[in-house]
Amino acid sequence: MWMRVWARAVVAPAARRAGAVWEGCAIVAAVIFGRTAMHPRDLTGLAVGSPGVGAVLAATWVLLMLPSARFLVRGDAATYLRALPGPTWTPRLAAAAALVALQLPWLVLWLAGAGARGLAVIAATTIVLVALARIRPRRPRPRRAAWKTATRALAGVYARALGRRASDALVRGAGLAVLAGLTAGLFVRNNALPPRESAAIGAAVVAVVLAPGVAGLVMALLDAHRASAWLAATLGISETARRAVLAAVVASIYAIGAAIASAAAALVVEPAALVYLAPAAISAAAGSSLFATRALVRVEHADPRTTALRVVIGVIAVPAASIVALGLLGPSGVLALAAAGALAFATAKGPA
Amino acid sequence: MILAVERLTVKRGGRVVIGELALDVAAGEVVGIVGKNGCGKSTLLMAIAGVLEPSDGRVVVTGASVWGASGERRRARKDIGYVPELADPPGFLLASELWALCAAARGAPAPTPDLIERLGLDELRELQLDRMSLGQRRRTCLAAALLGPPQLLVLDEPDNGLDARRLEALETLLRDHAREGRGALVATHDAALLDRLSARIVAL
Repeated sequence: MWMRVWARAVVAPAARRAGAVWEGCAIVAAVIFGRTAMHPRDLTGLAVGSPGVGAVLAATWVLLMLPSARFLVRGDAATYLRALPGPTWTPRLAAAAALVALQLPWLVLWLAGAGARGLAVIAATTIVLVALARIRPRRPRPRRAAWKTATRALAGVYARALGRRASDALVRGAGLAVLAGLTAGLFVRNNALPPRESAAIGAAVVAVVLAPGVAGLVMALLDAHRASAWLAATLGISETARRAVLAAVVASIYAIGAAIASAAAALVVEPAALVYLAPAAISAAAGSSLFATRALVRVEHADPRTTALRVVIGVIAVPAASIVALGLLGPSGVLALAAAGALAFATAKGPA
Repeated sequence: MILAVERLTVKRGGRVVIGELALDVAAGEVVGIVGKNGCGKSTLLMAIAGVLEPSDGRVVVTGASVWGASGERRRARKDIGYVPELADPPGFLLASELWALCAAARGAPAPTPDLIERLGLDELRELQLDRMSLGQRRRTCLAAALLGPPQLLVLDEPDNGLDARRLEALETLLRDHAREGRGALVATHDAALLDRLSARIVAL
């Protein structure tokens, strides 16, 4: 009975938080592993042989799993259940087992790549994860809001929604952005792509791996967009201005994600390739983000039961559009993406 | 005239909730909207405040149409301070951030220390709205609505969740607002409150 309660109240929500990480890892594995591509041992060998790459890989993994670990170690449900008069060690063992199980992609990578020695890496990252998850960061004193215009104020409201309602998703998104950059970099390096080709293919890989990390963030933005609707209306902030601010914030999320990915890619690709890859990835992400904004605008007044699904479809439309445009047109597909995104956004109509 | 409502019709889900209603609020006047539950008090206030678009008719505040062309619409809405029934702005904002947003949109200064003190908000300014009680949230929204100050206050059941002391403060604020030549439209079930405010009563 105790274990059933623990599993439903603590392990299941932690697993849901890890879902986006698993999706991201599945995409990464599909891109960099395969019969004619890398073997897990190549990646683990690179991580062990090159301390910089190894440190970034381990730090990325810790970043990705931290929201789930925090929920298992000191989430409200876990803290409450531990306070009840019940077994002391069973919940701890259950949390430890769940934390290891939720790291399945990391387990598979290190066991397949380094065998029994990989267990040491898994144990080390798990210990670091638990130590970081136990820390309760002091809430920073909020910065005094002093906005000069309504649109800046609205952008500030959306930024606060992300910071206060989607902090876990921000951490996970940053981790997936690093993973996206490493994946794109490894793909470019392993296939010895010339710089111009590396721009188009690398940007498409970044767009695909970023998608699961962005979904949680845009959902928080949608909630803020809905909650501030009446306030904006009564303050005389036009619908066009609201949508423009939303589009700018979504584009910033995508662009920052792509910039983090580009910085991570710099660890594994030559500077000559990075000169093409980084601008292509950032501008493709910002341009195609308008497809995601279109989805948000269209679901603002929609049935809440279908909202999440429709937002996810919008988020998936971003990498799909990127692959089509960059695949067909190469680096100049960035311009086509921006134009198509602008058209999709301009023609978005929320149901009356 | 601060507010002139002409032949206002509002439909919700195809049903006529407000039909061809006329209403006005003169300078220095408090008007009370009364009526049984579901008669359309909140709907009327939402249409006047610019939140719910009417299907017909006009809402004019200080000479500008609330639902007119964009420039006129913006001018009209700058002159309205609205507090909805649930007082539910984004819950993740701090009180000070809600005030900053409203101040930026209206081009108004931040709430004065006097207003904050009268509404008992000094302790709440750095508190998130979703951690406040309904009464605290209502007072925070009232402070936001009073920034400017606007020519017309539109308050939906403002006495809900307020204790006797805060209710008295609300009454004083409304009286002062009217005394300064502005107007207020208040929907409430509390006839005694409207009586104390010497409000003209409009029954829906």
